[in-house]
Amino acid sequence: MSKTPAIYFDGISSIPRKIELILDEQQAELVFVTADINTLHWSIEEISFEHIGDTLEIRHVSNASSVIKVNDADFISTFLFFLNKNGHVGWYYKLLHLGMKAYISLAIVILGLIAGGYLVVIPWVAEKAVLIIPMSYDMNMGNTFYHEYVSENDIDSVKTAALNLFAQQLKLNNTGELHFTVVNSTTVNAFALPNGDIIVFTGLIDLMKDYEELAGLIGHEVSHVNNRHSMKMLCRNLAGYIFISAVLSDVNGIMAVIGDNVHNLQSLSYSRQFEQQADEEGTLMMIQSQINPRGMTDLFTRLQTDEKVILPTFISSHPITTDRIKTIHKLIQQKTYRNIYKPELEKLFREVKN
Amino acid sequence: MENEISDVKDYKLSFHGEGKTFFGIIIVNWLLTVITLGFYYPWAKAKQLQYMYGSTALNGDRFAFHGTGKEMFVGYLKALFIFGLIYGILILSVYFDYLYAGIIFFYFAIFAVLPFAIHGSYRYRFSRTSWRGIRFGYRGERNELFVNFFKWIFFTVITLGFYSSWMEINLRKYLLGNVRGGDVAFKYDGKGVDYFVLTLGGSILTMLTLGIYSFWYYKNLFAFYVDNLSLEKDGKEVQMKSTATGGDFFKLFMLNLLILVFTLGLGYAWVATRTMDFVFSKIQMEGDIDLDTILQTEADYTDATGEDMSDFLNIDII
Repeated sequence: MSKTPAIYFDGISSIPRKIELILDEQQAELVFVTADINTLHWSIEEISFEHIGDTLEIRHVSNASSVIKVNDADFISTFLFFLNKNGHVGWYYKLLHLGMKAYISLAIVILGLIAGGYLVVIPWVAEKAVLIIPMSYDMNMGNTFYHEYVSENDIDSVKTAALNLFAQQLKLNNTGELHFTVVNSTTVNAFALPNGDIIVFTGLIDLMKDYEELAGLIGHEVSHVNNRHSMKMLCRNLAGYIFISAVLSDVNGIMAVIGDNVHNLQSLSYSRQFEQQADEEGTLMMIQSQINPRGMTDLFTRLQTDEKVILPTFISSHPITTDRIKTIHKLIQQKTYRNIYKPELEKLFREVKN
Repeated sequence: MENEISDVKDYKLSFHGEGKTFFGIIIVNWLLTVITLGFYYPWAKAKQLQYMYGSTALNGDRFAFHGTGKEMFVGYLKALFIFGLIYGILILSVYFDYLYAGIIFFYFAIFAVLPFAIHGSYRYRFSRTSWRGIRFGYRGERNELFVNFFKWIFFTVITLGFYSSWMEINLRKYLLGNVRGGDVAFKYDGKGVDYFVLTLGGSILTMLTLGIYSFWYYKNLFAFYVDNLSLEKDGKEVQMKSTATGGDFFKLFMLNLLILVFTLGLGYAWVATRTMDFVFSKIQMEGDIDLDTILQTEADYTDATGEDMSDFLNIDII
């Protein structure tokens, strides 16, 4: 039996009443006498307690408004030890008293789980989700973008026709229809829409020296379409965003902001992975079409070394272009290929470039 | 002369929370939330509130929050259902090509939910809060708040937003004026026009000084909140008073910022406890209510739907 002076609030008024609190370990109960000389027995089965700082507050489950307040450190440790021995201390309380080292390890474990989930689970889910999403979504997305933005531009119909003929000569492994559009603009860029529309700006074509480079560009962009990279990026971004906000929203806004930034970094390397896939598949398409695959690296090298050119997005934002050129070189060295000069491609290339 | 000399009492608000302990709570909550794919959230929130309330003391006796994760989980499910319904109708309207009707309904529904969320949140939060076993309570009428809320919104819209200062103060007056702690009533005396001048002047000066004035602006906003707040019981009263200065806010915010930046956000626990400590140490109370004579008056209330709805809407109580 342990005793301590304590304060009792009866839940009727705020008057603090001094009591003597007894912990009866035999009966497993707390016993005390109230001001109106009632002896109360609180079984440890029927109490809840909060231990904050150096204060222990004990309540009875039937009436959360009556409180016993104890400040006696010895009594508190005896009481907690007794509860613990009898299995009345919850797992949560135990978790909370693990100490700083444990918290920091826990934080690392959670971050590890999150990182694992983010790096492995999200891309996997996104990949699977894309299979479920019907192609019509890609088509709609692409069509909308084309009508809103591309059709406003100065489209060169003669060059567009020539470029489409050019592409028809290539083995592109495409499952859906492809449409090429040439836009008159000094912008050095090209991009693929998920519906199979591929837009090339004359600014980029003007820089090209031969048809192999154009074939390289087409191979690269078509690979984006074939692999539904746009939809995959969208799914990953969305899934990543939902994941991050679900995991962090509880913690605080700052963490969410940091999470967002991490997420942006991550999506950068996602697209790096996609760009690399497009480089490789584009190169293989060139080999299949019996076009010299060095056209791909020539194009990259030229864009990289030409100082006047601000690197177009399909090449710049992603890692170091030199690395990509090296990777393609390696791939080319592993493959045996035959390149045959194609006069009809040369002719069409001149038309596109004129 | 009936001029009774009432004895002035001593009051002291204090905060005893520690960053280290709160950090543990956050980490454990975080772990459980991740493991349960987010379902632990209501329990996590209850634990955080329990700690924050339990660390706040008036004259050495701590406040207590006895809301439970279970209550909040039920509220969470109800709130989820209500928002699911609102979003569901929006999606259906898009599907059936009534886009504009759907959007109008959506905004109207969200606005209509707001006063209910505020009301429910106040009722729940206060009824689950106690000090020395005396429960707090919120006695506002839901329908009255609803009607007032839309009246104020209407005025705000037709005055192109100018009325918003008055709306905010009216709302604060109504909400705080209906809070009880046993038989002690809360009262808020701020005036819309003063608040309007304060916010207008504060924003302009903050812009003109490239943000430097913002600390003094915060000081004024804090003082406007605290200095207008008082407690009443049986003709006696306690007046609150802010003692914070602009320099205090500058120090608080700058250190908080440094902690967050250098711990990559993990120092949030310390920032939260430091801020609470700051707030309570800067509130002075003067008056003659005897804190040993408060009587229990408020009933128990366990519906946490409003609490959870306000979470979805991202509104913070008080």
